[in-house]
Amino acid sequence: MSLSRRDFLRLSGWVAGTAAITACAPAYGRLSQIGVAGQMWPAAGETIFRKLGRMTYGPLPSERQQVVDHGLVAWIEAQLAPQTLDDTRAEIRLRPYDGLALEADVLADWERDTVVDQLRRATLVRRQYSRRQLYERMVEFWTDHFNIYAAKGDCWFLKVVDDREVVRAHALGNFGDLLLASAHSPAMLVYLDNQANEKAAPNENYSREVMELHTLGVASGYTQTDVMQLARCLTGWGVKRHFWRGKFTFDADQHAGGAKKVLGRVIQPGGEAEAEQVLARLALHPATAQHLAAELVGRFIVDHPLVAAPELVATAADAFLESGGEIRSMLKTILLDGLARPDFELPLKFKRPSDFVSSALRLLHVEGDGGPAVQGHLSAMGQGLFDWPTPDGPPDVEEAWTSNLLPRWSFALELAQDELKGSRASLPALLESVVASSPSEILTALSLLLLGRAPASEVANALSDGLSQSGADTPEEVTAIMAAGLLASPAFQWR
Amino acid sequence: MSWSVAREQVLECCVHLPEETNWPGWLPRMAFSPRGKAPRGDGLLVVFLRGAADMLNMVVPHGEDAYYQMRPTLGIPHPDDPRAKTTERVVDLDGFFGLHPSMSPLLPAWREGHLGIVHACGAPDDSRSHFRAMELMERGVTDERGPASGWVGRHLASLDTGNASPLRAIGLGDQAPRSLRGRVPVTALKSIADFHLRGDLQARARMQMILSSLYQDDERLAGVGRDTLDILDTLKKLDPASYVPSGGARYPETDFGMGLKQVAMLIKSEVGLEVAAIDLGGWDTHFSQGGSLGLMSGLMDDLAKGLAGLHADLGQAMGDVSVVVMSEFGRRAYENASLGTDHGHGGAMLLLGGQVHGGKVHGNWPGLAEGQLFGPGDLAVTTDYRDVLSELCRKRLNNPAVNLVFPDFTPTVTNVFKSG
Repeated sequence: MSLSRRDFLRLSGWVAGTAAITACAPAYGRLSQIGVAGQMWPAAGETIFRKLGRMTYGPLPSERQQVVDHGLVAWIEAQLAPQTLDDTRAEIRLRPYDGLALEADVLADWERDTVVDQLRRATLVRRQYSRRQLYERMVEFWTDHFNIYAAKGDCWFLKVVDDREVVRAHALGNFGDLLLASAHSPAMLVYLDNQANEKAAPNENYSREVMELHTLGVASGYTQTDVMQLARCLTGWGVKRHFWRGKFTFDADQHAGGAKKVLGRVIQPGGEAEAEQVLARLALHPATAQHLAAELVGRFIVDHPLVAAPELVATAADAFLESGGEIRSMLKTILLDGLARPDFELPLKFKRPSDFVSSALRLLHVEGDGGPAVQGHLSAMGQGLFDWPTPDGPPDVEEAWTSNLLPRWSFALELAQDELKGSRASLPALLESVVASSPSEILTALSLLLLGRAPASEVANALSDGLSQSGADTPEEVTAIMAAGLLASPAFQWR
Repeated sequence: MSWSVAREQVLECCVHLPEETNWPGWLPRMAFSPRGKAPRGDGLLVVFLRGAADMLNMVVPHGEDAYYQMRPTLGIPHPDDPRAKTTERVVDLDGFFGLHPSMSPLLPAWREGHLGIVHACGAPDDSRSHFRAMELMERGVTDERGPASGWVGRHLASLDTGNASPLRAIGLGDQAPRSLRGRVPVTALKSIADFHLRGDLQARARMQMILSSLYQDDERLAGVGRDTLDILDTLKKLDPASYVPSGGARYPETDFGMGLKQVAMLIKSEVGLEVAAIDLGGWDTHFSQGGSLGLMSGLMDDLAKGLAGLHADLGQAMGDVSVVVMSEFGRRAYENASLGTDHGHGGAMLLLGGQVHGGKVHGNWPGLAEGQLFGPGDLAVTTDYRDVLSELCRKRLNNPAVNLVFPDFTPTVTNVFKSG
């Protein structure tokens, strides 16, 4: 992309201007702009924009600049060590969500709606403001992989604990630990009915899904007998109901006695340790490595990876097995052997509603509360948070989402016109620093911000026709129309 | 300062940019393998009566003496009861069952053979909890275990009809009901007017124009973009206020009536609607339920007039439409001391459509006499509601994958629907 020096200076002026405007926002508002203020508009081109788009919820100018300065590999390595990245600006914004740190028995007495709402808001805040973008992407990945529907039974408060102690605790850790934590997670046990798995009436639901969805993958060789036998190992795994409500409990009285045989191996009677032994084996099974690698390549690189990128899946699966199930090793392989290679052509992926919404909020520096208005839009698009009923989690393939464009268009229009309740897009403020420039320059600037490149001629044509029809004659109106058009355009639906 | 926008100005930013090369066509177009692929069957409308409707007063077993003994105040007078006004008596259907007089707008449909009833029908759950019973029934499961998605959602997910319309499945109301939840996106509409872009007329028109040119040549989204814009255009022309129903049909001026009217409009305008769900609430009549007149009579008036309006309005099109009316459970056979009824067990389902074996009350009537009642004095369930819905899926919705819609359930034949 060639940008003239004049454009370049004007855009940096714009960015500096946005920092000045937010000076009147609360303290955390100013903090949030660190990393944008004073930055030159990055010279990062479209390739970097797209590659960063896979690992972030919309690459901020500051992140693009980091890649220009230090290279993509260095950026990825820093992201793979999230604890070394200061995240004060996100943490300060999370303070109002005081339920996130509480134990299940305390949350059980809270208002149901408040608990779920806090978790949803916090999730959006982290996606928008955290610097640990790759980590947040992995949190979303595991949230989907170990999907839990907050509306089922007590999951509305148990999921808060699961989010904290299972998903976030192990998102970049060892898969065996993650799996074991998930298997002990009361939210999971309730969601997949294992709290009803008793010796007299075994319930196979969790046992099946842990093999089909969480580890080996469907049709990978396990049998119905394996499902039933693992279910017997898991009898008695449940959740406390009264004292310490919502804590994991193993009820030896409900545990089926005798030896079991799972995947060809005999499990000697050993209470809780029986299933743990199977889970440890499942975690490091080659079929699990293949299943996880495919899912991860599907998330970060390309839809239907077993057809589209089989070699990368195989390499990632190897890295997983060689490292003893280290999630970081597998992810690093996918990113460094695949995505980050300069010659690697990254195919487009269709944004899921969560990608679409967060990228709009993040790239436009929307000051928002992640509240019911935004959540309602996500639901209308088909992906309310923690609201997916089936254990396969929301899909991440183009064909699952393309038919539902209207809610995206509505969101684009509302956001750009600053009519989204609880959110302030402040586009006029963004504009202030480029007050003297023409509509074409505004369009270029917005397009660089949202799409990482100058607008295609069809887009420019469409918007210019729309503008000339509209009689819009203030910078605010022009900007709103252009921003709505860009957010709703086909190009912004892909990442 | 004033801004006049010239097309050249907007274009100037593009002139020295390299060609766009980033819409790869290389990605293999996977034939995503669905569980079943078949043309769509009937349009389905699910009406859920929230609060546990008292089906014993809606479809009255006037041939049962026990009914009148247990409901001395609330019982609907026998069709031949000389003490009651004709208009307040049960309208006889078959010599044993009859309709509450407020349900009589449905008599034409009954006579045409389009209205069928399955009595003593319901769910095995006997918690008598609204919340639990509604959840289980909408999920189509026996108890809390099993899939968290809804039965309609699983029907949609297990049958690929090649229909990508955003209006394939709609819930009338703020939120799509639980039964529709699943892998297939569902659109919640308070009204047809909701399916539009927000903002004033001018802003909407402008946005639609912009969208239409943004999407027209897009390699991958042109089709769906155009479809969505077409539906916007179609719906823009549908004004519920000025709509004139066919066949002299009249919908009640209620939320329910307006909802049904819009369903009929959508069916007629062929925008890809396969499933619609609508709720009618207020049936939890513990107190002052009323008999021939009163609280519940008003609800039935709304229900019957609404359905009769839909039936008349759709006319011939009723041949490809199936309407299912259900409620989470029935009410106690005995009236209570507050002139109401408490939570019970068995209820009934109403089925309306051209392919219903209508003009008949189906099911095995368990009786209301001592020893025939269930639990604390409730109508027993002799037909599982899933027997009826399984047959609906198979015969009317073109979906043989009943085991995916109702996993771990073995349906019994009810013969309520015609085949093919």
